[in-house]
Amino acid sequence: MSGHHISSAKFLWGVGISLFFLTFVTVAVTWIEIPEPWNIVVAIAIAVVKALIVVAFFMNLWWDTKFNTLLFIMSIVFFLLLIGITLLDTLYRVDPIPSF
Amino acid sequence: MAETPATEERLDHLQHHFVDSEQQFESSKMGMWIFLVTEILFFGGLFAAYIVYRAWYPELYLEASQELDTFWGTVNTAVLIGSSLTVAMAIRSAQLNQIRGIIINLYITIGLACTFMVIKYFEYAEKFEKGILPGRYYSYDGLEHEKANIFFSIYYMMTGLHGLHVVIGIGLMIWLVVKAKKKIFHSGYYTPVEITGLYWHLVDVIWIFLFPLLYLID
Repeated sequence: MSGHHISSAKFLWGVGISLFFLTFVTVAVTWIEIPEPWNIVVAIAIAVVKALIVVAFFMNLWWDTKFNTLLFIMSIVFFLLLIGITLLDTLYRVDPIPSF
Repeated sequence: MAETPATEERLDHLQHHFVDSEQQFESSKMGMWIFLVTEILFFGGLFAAYIVYRAWYPELYLEASQELDTFWGTVNTAVLIGSSLTVAMAIRSAQLNQIRGIIINLYITIGLACTFMVIKYFEYAEKFEKGILPGRYYSYDGLEHEKANIFFSIYYMMTGLHGLHVVIGIGLMIWLVVKAKKKIFHSGYYTPVEITGLYWHLVDVIWIFLFPLLYLID
């Protein structure tokens, strides 16, 4: 089993610290009130970067077989499809808001 | 992969229908990734509900989110990232044949996961006391928005389902500790540690999105 990628302790700590740092950044940007649509964009962008760091370097997709990466990407594609098609309905309703 | 006969090879884990340890490991890991795909889509339904209602009631989210304590949300994010780090260290210990390292790192992970749940418990308890309950049980009148219960229904569903995953993760890691103590894992076989690690990291990733979406929007 010499084919498995073994991350050094230093590297794993580096990944952890960068995630702690980005958590601090997401909280810190809420202190400098960014105008309406952009605060959401910034928050999501930082979350996406954090998630990609976890998936690539903690879940080892970076060194893994491409097939597992393909599985992961497909789940994101279908998730976006779910949201996209749902919003095509809910955003354009004439009588938009249901009673619940 | 080149065989390394230097260390005496343990093959008691190898099931007869696999060619070798490597194939068994890769198959298990691929199976886990397929499960994680279903998990992403499982939570995806709730994220879709979040997005649809946020598009309908943007002002509700800004108002209701102020009931959530950003400080404890941040602490919980740090706790979960720390636990992801210790799980990664547990896998590294397994790869290096350090059984004690696996057990210690798993104990720290279990401790952090329990910390997360305790903080979550106090957050829930504080809201229940005020009458902030999901759906029609909502009886809090500190918020002006008439649909305030919708935000909290979504909040409880998302964090509740996530919390359930954390509890399951704690159970899995206790199971791993028991197995590690029986000296079942070694550098040639640590599949359950690897796979539980993948699950745990995904639970972390979901929280990475829940945190800004629920806590940081005021």
